[in-house]
Amino acid sequence: MKEVIAIVRMNMMNQTKKALTEAGVDAFFAHEATGRGIGFVNTQVLAGAEDGFEEAASLLGEKGKLYPKRVITIVVEDDFVDTVVDTLITTNKTGKPGDGKIFVLPIKDAVRVRTGEAGIKSIS
Amino acid sequence: MLIMIRAIIRPEKADAVLAALMDAGFPAVTKYSVAGRGKQRGIKIGEVTYDEIPKTMLMSVINEEDKDFVINTIMNTARSGAKGAFGDGKIFISDVECSYTISSGIKEGAEVAA
Repeated sequence: MKEVIAIVRMNMMNQTKKALTEAGVDAFFAHEATGRGIGFVNTQVLAGAEDGFEEAASLLGEKGKLYPKRVITIVVEDDFVDTVVDTLITTNKTGKPGDGKIFVLPIKDAVRVRTGEAGIKSIS
Repeated sequence: MLIMIRAIIRPEKADAVLAALMDAGFPAVTKYSVAGRGKQRGIKIGEVTYDEIPKTMLMSVINEEDKDFVINTIMNTARSGAKGAFGDGKIFISDVECSYTISSGIKEGAEVAA
């Protein structure tokens, strides 16, 4: 059993939900978060730096602004992880910094509260 | 090997910790608000017990060799006063098998043979 934690853009949420359903993942959990990555960039400053202003270029890489993101948590069987990751990447990829990250974590056990079923049964 | 650090800290310390992590060279962090209680069963003020105390969760995935440094950075910044106090928070570490950057599709971290 694996836990897939994906951090994606806010406006990609609807198509991600749709794509996940089509890929056969019905159950997931999502919440809002803010965050920053390695490519922390102020877009206005970046535009200025691209136009060749030295002041703007010297500001690049100062403090990291936090951007609003969505975090999706999906628990799936081991052999389903690749499908989920592929779906998330193809749906959320724009090729620009800020598309997000996907983390795959091992998870020991899961229990369905309604029936008390544990293990693989609880997520299938 | 990648590890995920989840730190539950005081909301008023979040900015300081984020700045400290940035200066330490760990810019990538995700932050969200949570509510919870600890071993002290919340705070009792007069007759009222508050057992859902607002906290901030910081989540970051780093290389295992940077673990102690990042933990120390968070701990020293998030601690209130020199000695610390109840409610300063907790730090949890978990293993991450692999990490994908969506924009480039690059995969990091080796798969652990089960």
